[in-house]
Amino acid sequence: MTTALADVGAVPAARDGALAATATACAHCGLPAAAATDDGPAFCCTGCAVVYRAIRGAGLDDYYAVRERAEPARTTERGYAELDDDAFARVHTKDRPDGTRTVSLYLEELRCAGCVWLIEATPRCLDGVLDARVDIGRGRCDVVYDATRTPLSTIAQHLDRLGHPVHPYRGAERDVARRKDDRIALFRLGVAGAAFMNLMLMAVALYAGLFATMSTADRQLFRWASMLVAIPAIGYAAMPIFRTAIGALRSKAAHVDLPLAIGIVVGLVWGAANVVRDRGEIYFDSLAMLTFLLLVSRYIVSRSHRRAAAAAELLWSLTPSRATRIAADGTWTEVPMEAIRLGDRLAVRAGEAFPVDGVIVAGSSAIDAALLTGEARPVAIGVDAAVHAGTTNLTAPVELVATAIGESTRVGALVRRVEELSLRKAPIERLVDRVAGKFVLVVLTAAIVTVLAWGGATGVEHAMSLLIVTCPCALALATPLAVTVALGRAGKAGVLIKGADALERLAHPGRMVLDKTGTLTVGKPAVVTWVGPTEVRAWVAAIERGSAHPVARALTELGEPGPIATEVVEVRGRGVRGRVDGHALTIGAPSWLAEELDLTPLADELAAITGRGETPIAIAVDGVATAAVGIADPLRPGATEALARLRALGWRPEILSGDHPAAVAAIAAQCGGLPARGGQSPEDKLAYVTAARAAGPVAMVGDGVNDAAALAASTCGIAVAGAAEVAIEAADVFVRTPSIGAIADTAAGAQATMATIRRNLKVSLAYNLIGGTLTVAGLIHPLIGAVMMPLSSLSVLTSSLRSRAFREVP
Amino acid sequence: MTTMYVIMILALVGAAGMVAAFFWVVRSGQLDDLDTPPRRMLLDEARPRREPRA
Repeated sequence: MTTALADVGAVPAARDGALAATATACAHCGLPAAAATDDGPAFCCTGCAVVYRAIRGAGLDDYYAVRERAEPARTTERGYAELDDDAFARVHTKDRPDGTRTVSLYLEELRCAGCVWLIEATPRCLDGVLDARVDIGRGRCDVVYDATRTPLSTIAQHLDRLGHPVHPYRGAERDVARRKDDRIALFRLGVAGAAFMNLMLMAVALYAGLFATMSTADRQLFRWASMLVAIPAIGYAAMPIFRTAIGALRSKAAHVDLPLAIGIVVGLVWGAANVVRDRGEIYFDSLAMLTFLLLVSRYIVSRSHRRAAAAAELLWSLTPSRATRIAADGTWTEVPMEAIRLGDRLAVRAGEAFPVDGVIVAGSSAIDAALLTGEARPVAIGVDAAVHAGTTNLTAPVELVATAIGESTRVGALVRRVEELSLRKAPIERLVDRVAGKFVLVVLTAAIVTVLAWGGATGVEHAMSLLIVTCPCALALATPLAVTVALGRAGKAGVLIKGADALERLAHPGRMVLDKTGTLTVGKPAVVTWVGPTEVRAWVAAIERGSAHPVARALTELGEPGPIATEVVEVRGRGVRGRVDGHALTIGAPSWLAEELDLTPLADELAAITGRGETPIAIAVDGVATAAVGIADPLRPGATEALARLRALGWRPEILSGDHPAAVAAIAAQCGGLPARGGQSPEDKLAYVTAARAAGPVAMVGDGVNDAAALAASTCGIAVAGAAEVAIEAADVFVRTPSIGAIADTAAGAQATMATIRRNLKVSLAYNLIGGTLTVAGLIHPLIGAVMMPLSSLSVLTSSLRSRAFREVP
Repeated sequence: MTTMYVIMILALVGAAGMVAAFFWVVRSGQLDDLDTPPRRMLLDEARPRREPRA
């Protein structure tokens, strides 16, 4: 808080010492919090308070020792009664032989070891829960429980109070299919690895034999053994590469697997021929290593793709699986989602999530649209209001008519969009494929020329060596290795990047559209201007202490808790009166105070405050206008420097916000004159980003899903910490550190990664060019060829590991 | 000389055994989730004892 204020250059008055001491840390997440009303711990929000008490109450205090990072907690405090329904049990739970049940749940906010510990301790806290296992990558938790002792709703309530809202897990079937694929990939990986290690040992013996005497029988033994290991093992392990190569041939599309498959097959066949002929080189060790390295890099890449695809399915978990339909005669029936048709009349009770997009036809309530908007405040709805699947009805039952169901709902569209994103191939990968296509032609032509030029057996021998030596292993490894290293390092630094193409798009600078709230600013109102006597500050703080209003929370930061306020009367939407130390204070909007006293002594200050886009508050002591306060959302510390770094990388930052234009202009001015637009609706933002894309790359940085559409429409959407779950899914990049500085670091890292990829491609092509030329000329000793092949892969590996990308991320 | 043949066969049988063990490990599901266990491992000491309940 103090540092944030120090950034705001225009308001020296606010740098008064008293302010610094009053910031209290939230007992749960450590963010600034209002001082507690009693002697208990202080909290920044109700979510943190509920979770903190739940954790203490269950005796899980160790959580605070084992967690990796502190974040504000979110809880819905729902009852989860629907989980106890028989219909739910039939679809989502499985009976076990001993009479207990298992259920898969999707938990929100699963982030770190602390969460895992907290949830897996559930059996200790709840009678009747036998086991809880967390899969953090999928956000999935498998619970074994005894329904006769603990209803599922109680378990869900417990997990919710711990800060992990619960949803039924929908992706179970697809998980099974994927697990099968993953296991097969691991089998191949294991076989290739074992073959590689053993063949290498035999190869060492053979190479040693080149320089010492080795009996023909021994040499034969090692060569035959190598062949017997290599052919089945590589044949099995490299199957996916062969399959893609055949597919590429059939569809006449260029693919990097084609030259790889040619190299591997020719190597195996020619090596076997040499074993049988007992002359020439065998290539089995190099081929096994190549296959192993390829499979490792592909396994890692597919895992990061999986994560993005799994994220899409989690969204489905957030919408209910059944709904209450109202028949023409007014009777209510529970039906599964699949039975709902457009135009059906549905009832949604308080506490339930809306199953479809629709229009309210009866009743009024408040909804929690955090899933879609990231806005934690309830939104009031009435007849004719549009509601969206996945948002939660909070206060009263309502009836609606379905206007969109399943995949055509807003959530459905989002899921589809995220799935498409995760399947898209990065342009650099397509470039590698194109290069590989040309590569095949060049190498095959060169091989034919070699046979013709040398003629006879020597020609064939040289041509075969050429095909094997130029097998573009390094080319195929260049991109996945660099990307994997970058994604891994970024992940450790709290930046989640969804695949190579996101990285690549982030590396092409253009416009960067920032949503002011939450990215540039702290996101909480604070006092940035104070004009008036210092002793009044403590009085104001004392009077405001009892109020939950955001402005009041900001004003309590003015002074130490000390004086006691009496006769405090809050006038809704205007201000507050009270007595402290024998003085009568009136605090509130200038227009309200002006009704009963003379504000002219403060007129200039108030005008200046308003002119800067801050919210003015006037304070009168004993009926005399005494102090003026300006309230605003202050800049994040270091925001100015981060913007300068982004500009240096070639980005052109600008602000696009839903806030009041004057407030946006004020922030823009503090950032050194950014282009800024305020008062933008979500549709405005979407239209703006879409239009801007026509002119070049646009990165969009946002946190709510008033931004989600714009995030998805931009070339590269960046969600920042505290973002709605949906914003995180819609974005290409999720930055966990809530600062514009982290975004600048990420952009720099992406550019460094692309530089590494380009370097890798050059290195691998250079190796093949040199190796190929020497082979065609007949100048290369087979041993040198065998050393060069792994060497090219190793240099690409070294180059990737040495990359500067994401090294300096905090 | 024949020692070499014996050793070679032993080595290959050993390697095949390792591969078989790896297959068993994968099949048993130990490698299905590679994200959670490394974190869980850190918490062994903090893991609460499961107390018998009445």
